[in-house]
Amino acid sequence: MQAETFRREMPSPLAAHPLNLPVAFGTTLSNGLGLVLVEDRRLPLISFRLAFRSGDANDPENLPGLSDMMSHLLSEGTETRTSRKIAEEIERLGATLSVGSTSDFSTVAASSLSIYAAEVLELLADVTLRSTFPQNEVDLARENTKQLLIQQRAQPNFLASERMAGVIFGTHPYSSISPTEEMLDALTRDDLLSFRVSTFIPNSAELVVIGDFQHDDLMGRIDELFAGWDRGDASPVPSPALPKRTERTIYLVDRPGSAQSNIVIANEAITRTSPDYFPMLLMHTILGSNASSRLFMNLREHKGYTYGAYSNLDARRLAGTFRATAEVRTAVTGASLQEFFYELDRIRNDAVSNEEITNAQSYLSGVFPIRIETQDGLIDQIVNIKMLDLPDDYLRTYRDQVNAVTTADIQAVAQKYVTPDKAAIVIVGDAAEVTDQVKPYSDNIEIYDTEGNPKDSVG
Amino acid sequence: MQKTFHVPHTPIEQFTLENGLRVILNEDHSVPVVSVAVYYDVGSRNEREGRTGFAHLFEHMMFQGSENVPKAAHFQYISNAGGTMNGTTSSERTNYFETLPSSQLPLALWLESDRMRSLAVTQENLDNQREAVKEEKRLRYDNQPYVNGFLRLFEMSFQNPANAHSTIGSMEDLDAATVEDIREFFRVYYAPNNAVLSIAGDFDPPETRSLIDKYFATIPSQQPPPPVDVSEPVAVAEQTDVFLDRLAPVPAFALGWKIPARRTPEFYALSLASHLLFEGESARLYQKLVKGEESIVQIQGGIDERRGPSGLFIVVIPKPDHEGTHIREIIFDEIRQLATAGPSAEEMEKLRNNLFNAAVRSRQSSLFRAQQIAESALYDDEPELFNTDLQTYLDVTADQIRDVVAQHLDTDNRVLLNIEPSAEEAAPAAPHEPGEPDQPTAPLPQVPPSPDDAPAGAPLPVAQPQPIESN
Repeated sequence: MQAETFRREMPSPLAAHPLNLPVAFGTTLSNGLGLVLVEDRRLPLISFRLAFRSGDANDPENLPGLSDMMSHLLSEGTETRTSRKIAEEIERLGATLSVGSTSDFSTVAASSLSIYAAEVLELLADVTLRSTFPQNEVDLARENTKQLLIQQRAQPNFLASERMAGVIFGTHPYSSISPTEEMLDALTRDDLLSFRVSTFIPNSAELVVIGDFQHDDLMGRIDELFAGWDRGDASPVPSPALPKRTERTIYLVDRPGSAQSNIVIANEAITRTSPDYFPMLLMHTILGSNASSRLFMNLREHKGYTYGAYSNLDARRLAGTFRATAEVRTAVTGASLQEFFYELDRIRNDAVSNEEITNAQSYLSGVFPIRIETQDGLIDQIVNIKMLDLPDDYLRTYRDQVNAVTTADIQAVAQKYVTPDKAAIVIVGDAAEVTDQVKPYSDNIEIYDTEGNPKDSVG
Repeated sequence: MQKTFHVPHTPIEQFTLENGLRVILNEDHSVPVVSVAVYYDVGSRNEREGRTGFAHLFEHMMFQGSENVPKAAHFQYISNAGGTMNGTTSSERTNYFETLPSSQLPLALWLESDRMRSLAVTQENLDNQREAVKEEKRLRYDNQPYVNGFLRLFEMSFQNPANAHSTIGSMEDLDAATVEDIREFFRVYYAPNNAVLSIAGDFDPPETRSLIDKYFATIPSQQPPPPVDVSEPVAVAEQTDVFLDRLAPVPAFALGWKIPARRTPEFYALSLASHLLFEGESARLYQKLVKGEESIVQIQGGIDERRGPSGLFIVVIPKPDHEGTHIREIIFDEIRQLATAGPSAEEMEKLRNNLFNAAVRSRQSSLFRAQQIAESALYDDEPELFNTDLQTYLDVTADQIRDVVAQHLDTDNRVLLNIEPSAEEAAPAAPHEPGEPDQPTAPLPQVPPSPDDAPAGAPLPVAQPQPIESN
């Protein structure tokens, strides 16, 4: 085009600037409540997160989804405030208050302008310590959640997640991903109250605060609100072994008329504290974590089968999975499996190149500061560290850990955890169109309807 | 209760290159990260009939290589440098953006300038991305309940085809796009004088100015693109229609109003009115219908913000045995009440604090700043709007909110679409528009398709995997 030769080569970077990790102040109150306080005066904002080492996996066997329902109902009434009053007070401050649970932990989160820090923290404490689960609110949540269960079944990715969790986790608590109709019928106010009292205890909690605050003022306020909270006994979560997989099986969820097939290829993998975590993270980055990874390049950029193909490293406290996923048009369901297995075999059988590992290390090191640019980003990281028992110097050593991984480490974990001949292949799609396409990939095909019931045949 | 509050000023520097490229710089050294956003003044509003979805398909082609950057190497270069990137298309504009370690600013400028000056289009790459876009459409629209119904609401709301069709377009029109179309579109719309370059974060201004000069100054300008006519006739009566949805498990309905363009006094007041009606659990309609009557499972609403006639929408999923007609009467009653008595003092305080909180919280992200400032520069040639727009919102009075609701929402000028489950394929309506596919518990798409919250056509799914997330 013209003679601007500088355009031919990628430019060299400028001098790198160091990332100054914010300094965290940590302490523990006499009742066992852990505190992590990070002063951040960039903007007049504050973010709170009170996290408990109790999550969906702590649900009693007869009440799957109890953590979920408790999260939903926590801000629907306290000893002194109605549901409406809570919503109005929070929103009148321009603040947010939200409660949620993952498999391993639950969080009560609040954020606001720093001038409203005292009011918001008081509201957070009130719903956490004095929620009463009024009967009318429980009944309303029961009815509305039943409707949401109906909506979930219209979503192909919910059906895929549900089947995958059941197949991989068996009788483990991680196998349940949502409340059930029976659970909702059985749920009482007392269940919620006693579950809150037994799981929301200070000695299994961390309060993380990031923002523009005065240390002594905040400590005084925390003491006022939380020091009188009594310790409790945390009950252990049962963690039975996962079903032993001996062969590859296809679990086909028949969704007649589906415009695509949602494919999930899953194997049991690692816990979050496994020494294999960083090699797995690098392997995942090379195989499928982003738009420059192998799966995306193959299934989308070369084949045009999908909007995106990715892998997923799901490492939790007690168990985990490694998965490869894509949503593909129905006609190329079988052809997509061929490409997936080509890539899964390749990452097992051949060492990744030095260039690939260097690029993956550079990617992980580079995106790291982007993730902690905001208060929410940093607070997510700290909560994960505390709740999943990661070392306190995790953020400081993260990049060293990433850079220490070798190509041999990657191949070793690929051979250990990527096992296509024992994989569970979940496909949500139109069984009449898909079954013949996928037969070459396994002799074992189980077919289910969208309600989760086994089906004998397609029709 | 209301405390005084001052939002920190965001420093913005602006200049224009000789070729017409508008440049915006926002320096901030809190994290060694820099975000670069390039906004082109072209969106689905510029598409002609028979070429719907073209602006978005074109956006995908911008990742397919240019003179010095091979196909898909854009993804590789950015990832390997430790960055993230994406692009989105709305009715109003197409944007491209990346966030990187600040030392990698030259890389971003090299990549953005190379595709601005020398996009390379091949038949093979076009065919490949056409397939990727069709899968995006299947994933986010055709395989989701309610989403295509929601697009039908747009077609009913707007009479001008420039406004009425969706950003994702139709399968037939996607099939019809040729390499020649792509080249012509590039020539007309992807010129420096039709674009804004916005940089926010950790950079040195003099050094950055000379890099911008080096990479962008020699890209030739083009004739301005043809003007767009987005004018709409004023609607005069309620329109009603039914959409048969074979994926919807239960009935739903959607209401839509045509409202004045962004930056009009009416638009500011209606944005605040919509917040009081349906944003958050203290909102009037949530308290009335989800609580109170307990007649619906969920209500979502929003504003489709455009430079021309814009939209305000509400989508409702009733509970079984609750009549849509009755629920709508409650909605209209509530609107009527706001149109006569206006907001309460408590509600005005709530709006004020929410405006402050949103303004300050969003400023944390360099990418958000780069994008927002670029948008004001592109639409209004007024990047300082990023700082001053808040005051315009704060100045809206309770009486203005009352009057604008009376004038625009308490009228028969609205559309109603009943979405009904059906074993049949959907009626002749064209398919389309955004839904967040990663939330199995959200029954409704993330409506309306606000370009900033739910990009209508990102080349990549919006949620990128976290580096140290547990799942």
